[in-house]
Amino acid sequence: MSDGQDLMERRLSREDLLKLAAVAGGAGLLAGRASTAGAAVDRLTAESGRLQVLDWVGYEVPQLYGPYLKKYPGEKPQFTFMTSESNALAKMSAGLEPDIVRPYVGYVRDFAESGFVQPWNPKLISNLKDLNPFMVKAGQYKGKQYGIPQDWGFDAILYRTDKVKPKAISWSLLLDERYAGKIAWWDDLYMLVVAGYYLGIKNPWQQTSAELKRSQKLLTSRKHVVKLFWSSETDMQNAFAAGDLWIAYAWPADWVAMKNKGLKVRYVHPKEGAISWIGMLMQGKDTPRPEHAHAFVDAWSSKQSGTWLENNYAYGHANTLARPTSKDLLRALQLTNPNALKEPNAHIDRYIPNRQEYAKRWREVKAS
Amino acid sequence: MAADEPAGVAPQIRARRARLDLTTPGLLGLPLGWLVVFFLIPISIVGAYSVDALYLSIYPGAHPVTLDAWRDFLGGSEDLRLFWKSVKMSLIVSGLCVLLAYPVAYYLALSGTKRKYVLLLVLIAPFLTSYLLRVLAWKVILGSQGVVNSFLFWTGLRSPDDPVSQLLYSRFAVMLVLAYVWIPFVALPIFVSLDSLDRRLLEAASDLGASRWQAFWRVTLPLSIPGVVAAFLFVFIPTVGEFVTPSLVGGNSGYMYGNDIADLFNMSLDWETGSVLALFLLGVVAVLTAVFARFLQVRQVAAG
Repeated sequence: MSDGQDLMERRLSREDLLKLAAVAGGAGLLAGRASTAGAAVDRLTAESGRLQVLDWVGYEVPQLYGPYLKKYPGEKPQFTFMTSESNALAKMSAGLEPDIVRPYVGYVRDFAESGFVQPWNPKLISNLKDLNPFMVKAGQYKGKQYGIPQDWGFDAILYRTDKVKPKAISWSLLLDERYAGKIAWWDDLYMLVVAGYYLGIKNPWQQTSAELKRSQKLLTSRKHVVKLFWSSETDMQNAFAAGDLWIAYAWPADWVAMKNKGLKVRYVHPKEGAISWIGMLMQGKDTPRPEHAHAFVDAWSSKQSGTWLENNYAYGHANTLARPTSKDLLRALQLTNPNALKEPNAHIDRYIPNRQEYAKRWREVKAS
Repeated sequence: MAADEPAGVAPQIRARRARLDLTTPGLLGLPLGWLVVFFLIPISIVGAYSVDALYLSIYPGAHPVTLDAWRDFLGGSEDLRLFWKSVKMSLIVSGLCVLLAYPVAYYLALSGTKRKYVLLLVLIAPFLTSYLLRVLAWKVILGSQGVVNSFLFWTGLRSPDDPVSQLLYSRFAVMLVLAYVWIPFVALPIFVSLDSLDRRLLEAASDLGASRWQAFWRVTLPLSIPGVVAAFLFVFIPTVGEFVTPSLVGGNSGYMYGNDIADLFNMSLDWETGSVLALFLLGVVAVLTAVFARFLQVRQVAAG
């Protein structure tokens, strides 16, 4: 069966078929004109309602999916925001049914196994051929394309060059007693992974209970240097811009935002290695708008959207044709390095088997 | 007697009684239904999650009913310690609110000013703006370049390179903002209990030679205690489970029990433990309310 037929079958429920029969029959009786019935068929088979997207704040701007709006003018998607993958899973467990959701590469397996998403049909995504094959493969689970790679970047360290004199470019900057009260950690269990790298634990993504205890102990013992655990990028950026923070666990977009505010900042990869990530657009399991969803992900995958993302957010894009205007940005994002995201250059975000234990330990760090 | 009644009266009375019998359940039906649908059933669902009788679909497999999460929590977990920390913070905030609001309510109720209701309106005016906005406004006031620090720079007491950074993102900030937000709630019940005070008692105290301080200590304060207790509970109950304010201004030391519950549901996806914590909070608050209501007769506040 062709993919087009698959979509057709999904869209036409029994109720729709009955309506079609009624409309077609009625139209035949009243006017006898095939065109009327055809219009009714088109209307009823068309997907209705706005596309529902569960995404991160900042990704709702229309420039990131321009071709979609061109194809469906006046049908701007409706966005709900997530603050983490767990937050998205919690929302979906509580009944939210988005057509599209964006976890990062470390959560591909979690989402695929959650039953909340379904694989894409790669044949309906024309820009897929231009996406980095390594990233495309990272979006697969059990041979199916659950995630279409889009944005990518690093978790690294942002600091004020006029206030901070690092002893070493290391994750230790986030633990530095000299800057107590001026440091921000990300409010996420990934802080335990970072602690693992700092402590030299063999596999920080699969720490044993004993190793996790060590990482937790380190973070708890240095918690007093932290001013803010940030879960909202905007909160962190505001605090950084206001001078409340000098050092932060940050993403490339934060570096650009602070530079644009005129602050003297550097965004550095620690010697233990930055964490790299790839955003994966996934399709909701029971989406009633599969064509719209495929058009949306295709738009995000375009060179046009990718270039805009790189120029404005300083994130990389999976489309290999997309290149930022600024050469500095090109260098900073290591866009000419095909292995930028891989070991040993960076530690790519990955599946954490005992994620619940990590989450528990992280909560205990905050509660301590 | 029945023999004296005109024919047809008895059936009329019976019909009226029948109507009355239907009126009571009719009137009670809606609130009771509301309570069942929006309180008892949700609480039962949370209870089922707490013993793993219900669980998230992302965790397939066998899920025997278990009290493990309850045992872990009550067995001296970090969560339980956090609960007591939050109780302590709420007690301080509630006490602070009462201390600050009492003189205001006293002045409004007993000073004899004609504009007391206007002043009362001014007191509760902040409630006309959003809760979030009021909390966020404190960020502007307490930040490193905020109102307080700018004033200190201007006076020369602090250098711009060395602002007072402990003002924001700290436990202090959480308690300050909570106290600010809840003070009007505290002032209202105290005002009501003081406003309905029988002034002749104060006159009698004065006639019997009591000083103003003695009259306050022996007459006014004891009679306003029900209002004070109600006010205290008005603050304590919501703040002990508060999570918005600590999320916005809490930093590394302002993390509270409510944040823990929110994280369990939203970040850790551990709805079992989250439900345990939520039910425990509900239970403690219910017991406290019952105790206060029983021994301090909060009903007197309404009666005046």
